[in-house]
Amino acid sequence: MKRQIPLIIVITLGFIFVAHTFIPSKTSVDFYDWWVSWSKAISPFAVVLGILSLFMVHGTKIQRKAPNWQYSLVTLAALVFTAFAGFAWGTSEGTPFMWMFKNVQMPMSATMFSLLAFYIASAAYKAFRAKSPQATLLLLAAFIVMLGQVPLGAAISKWIPETSQWILNVPNLAAKRGIATGVGLGSTATALKILLGIERTYLGSD
Amino acid sequence: MFEIISNIVAALLTLFIFSFLYKDNPFYRFAEYLLVGVTMGYAIPLVYTNAFIPFVYRPIFLEGNFWLIIPSILGILYTFRFSEKLSWLSRYPIVFGMGIVGMGVPMSMHSSVLVQMRYAMRPIDNINTLIIFIGTVSILLYFYFSKPHKGLYGKFTNIGIWFMMVGFGASFGYTVMARISLLIGRIQFLLGDFLGLIK
Amino acid sequence: MTFWEKIQEIDRRWIYLVVLLCIIIPLLIPFNSKTYVTEPTSNLYKKIDSFAGKEDKAMLLSFSHDASTMAELFPMEVSILRHCFERNIKVFTICFSPAAAPLMAYAINVAKEDYENLESGVDYCNFGYKPYGLFLPIVLGMGDDVSEAVDTDTDGRKIKNLEIMKGIRNYDDLNLIVDFAASSAVFSWITYARVRFGANVAAGVTAVMAADNYPYLQSGQLVGMLSGLKGAAEYEKLVDVFAAYEDEQNPDGREFSQEVIKNTWVPIMEKTISYTGDTEMQTDVELPYKFKQARIGMNAQSIAHIMIIIFIIIGNVGYFLSKKNNNEV
Repeated sequence: MKRQIPLIIVITLGFIFVAHTFIPSKTSVDFYDWWVSWSKAISPFAVVLGILSLFMVHGTKIQRKAPNWQYSLVTLAALVFTAFAGFAWGTSEGTPFMWMFKNVQMPMSATMFSLLAFYIASAAYKAFRAKSPQATLLLLAAFIVMLGQVPLGAAISKWIPETSQWILNVPNLAAKRGIATGVGLGSTATALKILLGIERTYLGSD
Repeated sequence: MFEIISNIVAALLTLFIFSFLYKDNPFYRFAEYLLVGVTMGYAIPLVYTNAFIPFVYRPIFLEGNFWLIIPSILGILYTFRFSEKLSWLSRYPIVFGMGIVGMGVPMSMHSSVLVQMRYAMRPIDNINTLIIFIGTVSILLYFYFSKPHKGLYGKFTNIGIWFMMVGFGASFGYTVMARISLLIGRIQFLLGDFLGLIK
Repeated sequence: MTFWEKIQEIDRRWIYLVVLLCIIIPLLIPFNSKTYVTEPTSNLYKKIDSFAGKEDKAMLLSFSHDASTMAELFPMEVSILRHCFERNIKVFTICFSPAAAPLMAYAINVAKEDYENLESGVDYCNFGYKPYGLFLPIVLGMGDDVSEAVDTDTDGRKIKNLEIMKGIRNYDDLNLIVDFAASSAVFSWITYARVRFGANVAAGVTAVMAADNYPYLQSGQLVGMLSGLKGAAEYEKLVDVFAAYEDEQNPDGREFSQEVIKNTWVPIMEKTISYTGDTEMQTDVELPYKFKQARIGMNAQSIAHIMIIIFIIIGNVGYFLSKKNNNEV
């Protein structure tokens, strides 16, 4: 029963929403409004799950004095202080909370992603090899698209940006359309499997 | 003065993370763990002010809509995820949200399959539409693994691989541009706002 | 070890140093370069410009990214906001993740700095952050009534009472949504807003996502697309050449023209807009950095792309020569 009742709820709600998509009746709209108001009330509690999880992981590390446990202290202290700053002084512009976001979270988050530029250059040098005709075609297409995106490519020859656009509008379009259709069919099949109760991984294990 | 200090803090933390490129070090680890904590801490007051107060506290306690106590209790059931004996209770808030998948099925079928198929079935009036048609069909057939890729069928699906290579090459070209752009953004900050070398 | 084998084994930190220099030097020594405008960008520009001065037309900017992708998306956000402010286009902004809320406010503040008469609630309106759980209710609700679906703006004001909402009821009026995303979030707008209500959807995406969105461009599900820093640079040029252009005949900007954009260059390091041939327009002030940030970034991008191509060529040449030497041995 611990799995059957949630399954029945998903299947019932799922079919009601399928009907709602096609049947524009007042009952259907009222039901949807009811579901939305309940979803709004449930949504804030998902964050509690994330916070608890973080505290459990890092708290255990600190308790057991696991390697690098001092850094877990930094994480928890930062979490507590940032949240406290938001509650104590508000979240509007000019508060310590927004200062921390703009000068701590934003720069670090952006920098983490910018490290990828170095890794892609290193990978380009050490790993990208034209070992087969298909790989050679891949690299050729990449070269033309890379040059076509920058002003220098157009300065070399006007054919570079035009060929780059042709690659994007014709063979790339065909490839992405084929892949997107396959993905669309796959995600529709997965959604149908959830709807019919065949796919149950979201319920977790017993 | 305050702005200078803010820029110094942001630049220092940026450099701490860049230091990982040389090798792993305590400065990088400190910045990494700090980022996790601040990111999570940032979300808490925002969710409280923008979700909890308007959709839970105000309707129940100020407007008297006591029915919303039931979904609030459902939301609290999320926390039972960590209990060994009662983790099955956490399924209920999850499945309540999962019900919307019923609406997603016809809509995603429409936009990601039907519309794409409609536009793939254009009159083949020039070489480009012919290439697009051949490419799309060969790739779709390539992903049909229930039939062995042998003989003429195998040769046709092989064309799909060539199209995909061009597509992946284009994606790689764009990915390089994306990654370099992110680095350019950080360098612009360091050279401009921090060092004042670019105006 | 032969030279090529040594080259293959080079410490990756030297590669990082070369990458760093290829970015730093062009930023320290910026130069003029020509930006070519592509069709997806000009289509979006034309669509937005068609709302110029209209009371019953507005557009919505949805911010679906966080600070990590700001470098690519922030310049295009500022450009589009600048376009709206120059051409009196009603613009709304919204986001469904807490990380995007300050970025949204920052983009508006940066764009509106140069425009003294702009008023929140009259010329633009920031709907603010709405929890992700409300994405579907709001997207679907705006098909009936925007004021009811969104309810309040970021300052807590009831939207239905704002002057900007005169003539704006649902997607028939709020007819264009531009989603700035680093993921496939724009697909949700296509699935729900376009399919059900026929709203026009456009995307401002990071370059990683751009190649994947071409099928939606061709099928018309996206009316236009800005792809990464290049898209931002193209849009900056379009705004300089048309929306922000001023002369005696065009005091409030001019309309898009394919011929003009093909033949016009904006030397970003000077105070001029040049037309092929003899015509040159002297602008009164030097373009502020915030309105040419993407084009300056594209200079560094050019050098970096050449560097990556050279790396790939050297790597492959070294690999094949080493392999040949080993086979001979």
